Amino acid sequence: MNLLTRYADIDIEVINMLDLKITFEPENNLLRLNGELVSLHCHYFNSGLIKALEEIPYLDAIKVYREEVAAQFYLNFKKLISDIRDDISPKHLLIEAAELYRFLGYGRLDVDGLSREGGFVLSDSSYFVVSWLARYGRRTSPVCHFTSGFLAGIMAAVYDTMPDHYEVQEVDCLMIGADACKFQVSEVKDGS
Amino acid sequence: MAVEVQNVIEMGTRLALCSNERGIMASFGIYAAFNYNEFFFRVVSRIKRMIREEDALAFEEKLYASVLECAYYTFHGARMSMDWREYVTPMIDNPEDEVRALVAFINVFGVGFIEVEELVPGKRLVTVVRNAYDPGRYVEEYGPQARSSCYMFRACTAACMDLVYGPEYPDGMGTFAATEPLCRAKGDAICRFVAEPAQGPIG
Repeated sequence: MNLLTRYADIDIEVINMLDLKITFEPENNLLRLNGELVSLHCHYFNSGLIKALEEIPYLDAIKVYREEVAAQFYLNFKKLISDIRDDISPKHLLIEAAELYRFLGYGRLDVDGLSREGGFVLSDSSYFVVSWLARYGRRTSPVCHFTSGFLAGIMAAVYDTMPDHYEVQEVDCLMIGADACKFQVSEVKDGS
Repeated sequence: MAVEVQNVIEMGTRLALCSNERGIMASFGIYAAFNYNEFFFRVVSRIKRMIREEDALAFEEKLYASVLECAYYTFHGARMSMDWREYVTPMIDNPEDEVRALVAFINVFGVGFIEVEELVPGKRLVTVVRNAYDPGRYVEEYGPQARSSCYMFRACTAACMDLVYGPEYPDGMGTFAATEPLCRAKGDAICRFVAEPAQGPIG
């Protein structure tokens, strides 16, 4: 899968209309992504956080994690696209979201299979797979919980609904030997 | 020559940290990614409130351990970099200068402004942060907390001491342990971190 080829039919000028920028505030030593506070973390922490959450026995802590990823990217992506959403199609907004994902260091997404009703997303490069392998080695279950939350959040932002309107399942993962991580996005029938 | 904190920070912010075509950001031997500060606050604070007190403490210690690894390997990678050698190494005359440079380097990650308050060579490092994100949010969201909340700065403070006064890399991690006696989440004016030998004085 080559995402650059996949997007070849789209005017390249459309991609990165968000003008993503990380700026450093020297007076406070803070980083901002287009105005919002962000910070830089390494794979030891990001995979360690997932492991710590997965090890809580009596709570679905990963569900909380996914909800918070969805909430943050819903709110922030909505802000990011507020100036351009009337000018470009939902499909192009989703490509902008994939560019945001790549820009932040999370890997590469092919969102071509998405529509308002959901669909499939492929990822042939995953920060979370690379991170987990580097820190803990191979595991037998998918690890891209973040991506599931991200997709729920950006779908809601693009289609102007709420993050709990979409359910995202990672149905295949590079971690378990697949050629790409595969996410199934579907509408929750009784969602908002 | 004393360590010029601003020069270290400027060097750090000039580093070309950006993700490649595949969306992976590899630097200093680690894989990095940006995320919203609010995300980490929300996940950790929600989870801590959903689990038993003893489990919340254990959860926080796991996060401390993960950040310690992160800081230990990242800071080591940074101090081995050509940029560090070019801009920072000339300012370092002794181990204490290196600790001050490493603490200054923490500032480039966007987690707040950390400074050295006290350094006793080989024994104790005290750092302070006035604008950490999480403690302010804890107070806003939940009111003053019973315990300190800044596991990230706590671990980063310990890692600086591990790298300089601990056994030679990569065997020094955990030589020092850090506490946070003052935290804005508890209503204190600042967050203060104290790193000391994990099991009594070294040597």
